[in-house]
Amino acid sequence: MLTQLWDLLIAFARASNLGFGGGPAVIPLIKVEVVERYHWLTNAEFTDALAVVNALPGPILTKLGGYVGYKEAGWLGVFVANIGVILPTALAVILLAGFLMKYSNSPALKGMLKGVRPVVVVLIAQTALQMGVGSFPNLTTWGIALAAAVALVWLKWHPALIILGSMAFGLLVLR
Amino acid sequence: MLRKLWNLFIAFTRASNLGFGGGPALIPLIRVEAVDRYQWLDNQEFADSIAICNALPGPIATKLAAFIGYKIAGWMGAAVAIIGAVSPTLIIVVLLGSLTMKYSNSLEFKAMIEAVRPVVVVLVAEAAYDMGKDAFPTGSSWAIAVITIAVLFLTNIHPAIIILAAMLIGWVLYGRIKNESSQ
Repeated sequence: MLTQLWDLLIAFARASNLGFGGGPAVIPLIKVEVVERYHWLTNAEFTDALAVVNALPGPILTKLGGYVGYKEAGWLGVFVANIGVILPTALAVILLAGFLMKYSNSPALKGMLKGVRPVVVVLIAQTALQMGVGSFPNLTTWGIALAAAVALVWLKWHPALIILGSMAFGLLVLR
Repeated sequence: MLRKLWNLFIAFTRASNLGFGGGPALIPLIRVEAVDRYQWLDNQEFADSIAICNALPGPIATKLAAFIGYKIAGWMGAAVAIIGAVSPTLIIVVLLGSLTMKYSNSLEFKAMIEAVRPVVVVLVAEAAYDMGKDAFPTGSSWAIAVITIAVLFLTNIHPAIIILAAMLIGWVLYGRIKNESSQ
């Protein structure tokens, strides 16, 4: 149990502290920890977890930390996973704020972020592909994907709406 | 002081729990609380705090909560703001998560999940596309991407290593200014 809690802490601390570029950037990192390294979820279960939490408000790391943490070790797991997500970052912000005020516009930092952005894009695209592998068992699912893409890009629907809509569709049509 | 802590907690709880869609969606909501409602920061200070937080990894809500909370009420303020940003979300997630686990074998649930999986793939792919629009300003960006793909495909190297390596490369390629102008 103790090892599990420690693993949760380390896994989510790692994912959280390498996530440069905001929300979506951490998704591949969480997936590497949760699916590939610790096998807490399968690829399919990870996709499902992402679906459930995307319909909810709040930071993605917190939500996934809560979901996986609870599944593995109840409320203690939730707490520990989120400590991993929050503590290093919070400490860094508070302790480095003064330093960063001076250097956040430095060319060195900007250079580093510019270098890492293509990597993040590739990682996210790779995650989409990996999740795609188990997600298209029949033609209907392709239809759903098409509808979702249209709703997202042209109709500018909110993602939470699209998720709830597709769940309703599934309930009515696929059962 | 107690009043300040309470306000911090409420402000971040409110902002966090209306923020559907993750990180960027939360920023205007936090701004409304921190700048308009409680006047903890003015607009310029808020913009600066965003810039600072963007230089660090981690969830934006957590970083802003830590920064603003600390500014207003020290360590306790930071703690309280973070708890506000995080706890209601966590409670909902855990409740929903345990419901999910309980009913995961029902036909209804399986139908919903089958329908939603393609949507999640589309959402993540769209995130890649969206980020990709600003991520390739130069030819070397493309080179970095291609190398990343090769490394991911051909080796087992952890993405974390690739990220750190790319930051190093970025610093070397783009981040060093030659001091020709200091004459």
